[in-house]
Amino acid sequence: MSHVDDGTLHAYLDGELSPAEAQGVDAHLAQCPACRGRLEEERALITRAGELLALAAPPDRELPPFRAGDIKPLSRLWWQVRLPLAWAATVVLALGIGTYVGSGSRALMERPVVGPQAYQSRDFAETDTPASLMRERSPAEPRGKRAAAPQATPAPAAREELDRVVAPERAKVAAIPRDTALSVATPAPAPQADIAMFVDGVPLRKGSPIGIDSARALLGADPLAVPGAPIRAIYRAREIGYSAVVIVEQALDSSTVIEVVSRRSSPVALDEIVVTGAGAVAARRDSAGAAERVGSARVADSLAAVPAAKAFARLAPVETQNQVPRHLGDLEIQITGPLRTDSLQKLLRLVQPVKR
Amino acid sequence: MPQDLAEVYRTTYRALVRFLYRKVWSAERAEDLAQEAFARALIHKPDNARGWLFIVAANMARDDARRAARERRHLTLLTAEPQESTSAADQALEVESDRARVRAALEELSPRDREVLLLWDSGLSYEEIAAQTGLARGAIGTTLSRARRRLVQAYEAGKSGEHVARG
Repeated sequence: MSHVDDGTLHAYLDGELSPAEAQGVDAHLAQCPACRGRLEEERALITRAGELLALAAPPDRELPPFRAGDIKPLSRLWWQVRLPLAWAATVVLALGIGTYVGSGSRALMERPVVGPQAYQSRDFAETDTPASLMRERSPAEPRGKRAAAPQATPAPAAREELDRVVAPERAKVAAIPRDTALSVATPAPAPQADIAMFVDGVPLRKGSPIGIDSARALLGADPLAVPGAPIRAIYRAREIGYSAVVIVEQALDSSTVIEVVSRRSSPVALDEIVVTGAGAVAARRDSAGAAERVGSARVADSLAAVPAAKAFARLAPVETQNQVPRHLGDLEIQITGPLRTDSLQKLLRLVQPVKR
Repeated sequence: MPQDLAEVYRTTYRALVRFLYRKVWSAERAEDLAQEAFARALIHKPDNARGWLFIVAANMARDDARRAARERRHLTLLTAEPQESTSAADQALEVESDRARVRAALEELSPRDREVLLLWDSGLSYEEIAAQTGLARGAIGTTLSRARRRLVQAYEAGKSGEHVARG
């Protein structure tokens, strides 16, 4: 078999090959030491180029609102943009309430499966069609989709450990949607569309599903996961300031899905090339800023946050995420999911590399 | 139906500033242009707001560079003497920073390679970069591999060149 060319190696490392193409590369790498060597060289090159570009990055600032001068003539336009979405969100919410009322308080725990296509549409990477955005944003849905989790039987010891962390959460997770549903019943459709956006709106652009081998190739290390919980899927993601981001989606139970995010940065290499003060500060600020960026804290800065802020505060404990990443080697690990921050932190302490 | 621009703003604004910054090399100017691009998006309501924003931003940055060049020329005519002393001093200061080295290295890339590299670094996918640049999707990996290699080489060459020059 012919060797893998540079362009294909870069596309492979960037996670931009189709699954079939990536498998072809995997197969060739498995039997070709020369190409494996080149893979490492190209990986180092990609990392290095990313570091250099990070040295020439603008200072990371808070997301500003549109300036007053711009907003004035445009505020009316905003309504035109929003209204159709608000209308659609109301329909979705009404359906959600219907299901909820119809099947009692356990409705949210045992919501009918939405189907694989709907699920994938949430993971759209590049085609943010309005329809998929709306679907992503409907507050009643995300937990419902997760009901699609195939239940595997994890190792008992790890399972106990998991249960200790997660069990107290279940009651809360079940209880909080009730509030959501009640508040939804009040006639304020337009802000509701915004709330949902922030509940599920972590600005991490999830890409296509990948295999464990591709994940390993992307990170240059085993991706991390919470032992004892079945892995539903692995995705790659793009995030500025990181050379690779891999998301391992795990089902804690039929209604609780967490995402273990492994980010690859190269602090050591960065220190080596940073010579003078100004550059070093800028570079660090840049990578620190990128880590911070996934946090939901900045929601308040965003355009439409003001009407949504109050309701968001109420929803925050459900769909929160821990802000302090854990560092393992070159990797920076975070867990997101519908659990309290301290529970997520406990889970974060449990993570282990995924071995085959 | 237009995309929800609030969402696009939240996820794309910083990437757009990052992209623009490597073209205009002023954080303030990059932010102004990014805001302007979003203001235009509100009026035009493009279907694919994200892609549209990067195209508009690239055009604005090009216009901006032309205007800046014109102003410099004008200034030079007015003062009737080349500002070598000040620009040399500026350069000496700038040369110290890694930022200036990276900037110089970026300027050694071909325009197409540079564009692809900057778009990738701003978080666009191969698909989006292909749509933006008119390149075939299959050519993006090759272009990126070349752009990355040249960037690193030019940076290293610039660095060792400085050492030689200083003796």
